[in-house]
Amino acid sequence: MKKGKKVLSVLLAIFFALTFLLTSCTTPTTPTPQTEVQEKRIKAGFIYVGPIGDYGYSNAHDVGRRYVEEKFPWLDTVYIESVPEGDVERYIDRLINDEKCDIVFTTSFGFMDGTAKAAKKYPDKVFEHCSGYVRDTNLGTYFAELYQMYYLNGLMAGALTKSNKIGYVAAFPTPEVVRHINAYALGVKETNPDAKVYVRWLYAWYDPAKAKEAAESLITEGVDALAFTEDSTAVIDSGEEHTKQGKQIYVFSHYSPMQKFGPDTVVSGQLVDWGIMYEEILRRLYTNTWDNRDYWWLAKEGACDLGGEFGVPINPKFESELKSKKVKDPIFGEISVYDLVMKRLAQMKEPTVLFDPFTGPIKDQSGSVRIKAGERASHDLLWSVDWFVDNVVGEVPKSQ
Amino acid sequence: MMNFKVEKRVETSRFLYIFYIGALILGMLAASLFFSVRGINPLFALSKIFMGAFGSALGIRETIAKSIPLMLCATGLIIAFRGKFWNIGAEGQLLIGAMFATWIGLRFGASHGPLFVIPLMFLSGFAGGALWGIIPAVLKVKFGVNEVIATIMLNYIASNLIQYLVYGPWKGKTHYGFPYTDDFAPSARLPLIPGTRIHYYTLIIAILLAIATYFFINRVKYGYEIKVTGENPEAARYSGMNFLKITIITLILSGGFAGIAGVGEVAGIHFHLTYPDQISAGYGFTAIIIAWLSRLNPLLAIFVSFFFGGILVGGDVIQTSFGLPAATINIFNSLILIFVLMGTFFMEYRVSFAKE
Repeated sequence: MKKGKKVLSVLLAIFFALTFLLTSCTTPTTPTPQTEVQEKRIKAGFIYVGPIGDYGYSNAHDVGRRYVEEKFPWLDTVYIESVPEGDVERYIDRLINDEKCDIVFTTSFGFMDGTAKAAKKYPDKVFEHCSGYVRDTNLGTYFAELYQMYYLNGLMAGALTKSNKIGYVAAFPTPEVVRHINAYALGVKETNPDAKVYVRWLYAWYDPAKAKEAAESLITEGVDALAFTEDSTAVIDSGEEHTKQGKQIYVFSHYSPMQKFGPDTVVSGQLVDWGIMYEEILRRLYTNTWDNRDYWWLAKEGACDLGGEFGVPINPKFESELKSKKVKDPIFGEISVYDLVMKRLAQMKEPTVLFDPFTGPIKDQSGSVRIKAGERASHDLLWSVDWFVDNVVGEVPKSQ
Repeated sequence: MMNFKVEKRVETSRFLYIFYIGALILGMLAASLFFSVRGINPLFALSKIFMGAFGSALGIRETIAKSIPLMLCATGLIIAFRGKFWNIGAEGQLLIGAMFATWIGLRFGASHGPLFVIPLMFLSGFAGGALWGIIPAVLKVKFGVNEVIATIMLNYIASNLIQYLVYGPWKGKTHYGFPYTDDFAPSARLPLIPGTRIHYYTLIIAILLAIATYFFINRVKYGYEIKVTGENPEAARYSGMNFLKITIITLILSGGFAGIAGVGEVAGIHFHLTYPDQISAGYGFTAIIIAWLSRLNPLLAIFVSFFFGGILVGGDVIQTSFGLPAATINIFNSLILIFVLMGTFFMEYRVSFAKE
């Protein structure tokens, strides 16, 4: 007891001494000059769920942040990475009170409740939540969606595979990932009706070791074309290794430009551009035209693009192979897969979106029709999809 | 030739606490060096961290909220460590506690009042954590399985179990297929101090348990037996103590307390179960540091938890104000821990140079 008390008092003494010492030596803050004709400035705070060094999701958002910061002279930005979902309110408090942010972007679905609460708490600030569905007078939502690119990747995978076994290394069974697997499988089906798509779940957004293991196990089972959702280059490393050893593996890079990590194995991929979304939202805020709309941006708006490198939709190494493979299309007639990919990309970039991969008839694994002939999937269907199309092997973990 | 000679000190003189203080200061200095290298005035950085955690109402509120699970886990670990049972599994015990409480919350939250649901959630959380603690206890005493390995592995099992539940059978209908259970009904939510995230029921339980544990260890027969079996198993055996029983009691308490921390997190912060690394930001591991820094004294653990909660909260400013990576705060924590552990070592052992 005695001993404990002593340690306690000593510790407390240190603690208070330190608090006093440290709090008393804060550098004086310079008062901001209050000139009347000052140009409007905006400070934007960004909250990321992962580390920006992950070369995936959070990194892509940060690329967007740096893009707008460079673009707009009136903009200051600040970011926080690796924020636990349950703690987002605290970080928002800090960004608003300490950093004096005018707008806060929260970039993960799990930040939704916290962001909604903060929007109520700070009615004169603006909030933008990425990938959610809750909006408020001062809270908007935005999302850059990649499924069209996965579909184009699927067209190429179906054309290139020799074994008719296509793989997908998947992070988590969320609707977003399920949607991407389906789009990929629909592409595969179009160029190769006999091929099947095999899925491996990682239960991690970032886990290079598991991703590599999953890729290796798929390759061992005869898979020779791989797409993935995981925030590292592990699957590409695997593909490059096998390709160098003489067994050609076709890989589609994910989210960030990764072709340079596998020049012999990366055929194409999906690229995201958050920068133009941030540009649009911030420009609206700057010009007092901001509203709480729901941005769901696809190829047409330029939020996503095809390729493993910006400006390189298809790795030139695979061009001739894709050009020599012909398929029959009801509209284009006999066409090479290379041209088909380019035409589809152009169609999806049209303001009227001339083509969408989720156009019926589309059947699920049990054979029942989920999207009727001639219909396009609604936003809500895509948003909450929890079933696979019929050429996928594997299952979506189901709730009871 | 020079040789080191390490001897256990016969008695720890009171001046030796200087080692402890010196260690804290050295830890801060080492952290300062790190800030200097990054071109940031270390005094400014440290003051920002302390201000961020303790210098504003906002900071203090969050610091207290963070200290709740730390306090509960640390108190539980202290009981186990006193019995020299190296429980590295508080993280898993916390998760299973959260899982049990979630089941109660979802099952009874809508149909029963808080007077029924809340106590039941706490009890079930305790039971869940205790269950996860009993497993390695039995494995150790009955089969000689190393408890460090067993508890670490059980963390993974707990984590994967929860992942399975939130992606599978427990996935909510209201979250668009995302990995969350449905939100708890109001009667399964812990009341908060208005304007804060402090679920004060759990805070009160945490403080009361820390005080009770202090008396349990020092005044109650079982507490005494836990210490004896830990410090001198041979003597314990000769005096006829029942190892299995004592170890199980130790781990029921140790795991149960962590389980209560899990209840606080789901019922007071999240209001649903979701993937494990969101439910616990490594509280079960940080609590190991706290237990040792408190020198296995639960009363001290109350304050050390508060201090560490503060470091976690103040760590935000490292990112917002200095733009340093999030990992910086872990470096800061680890440096302080390493120095304090070294200080503790010198408090207990005398190192001298001996000539051969």
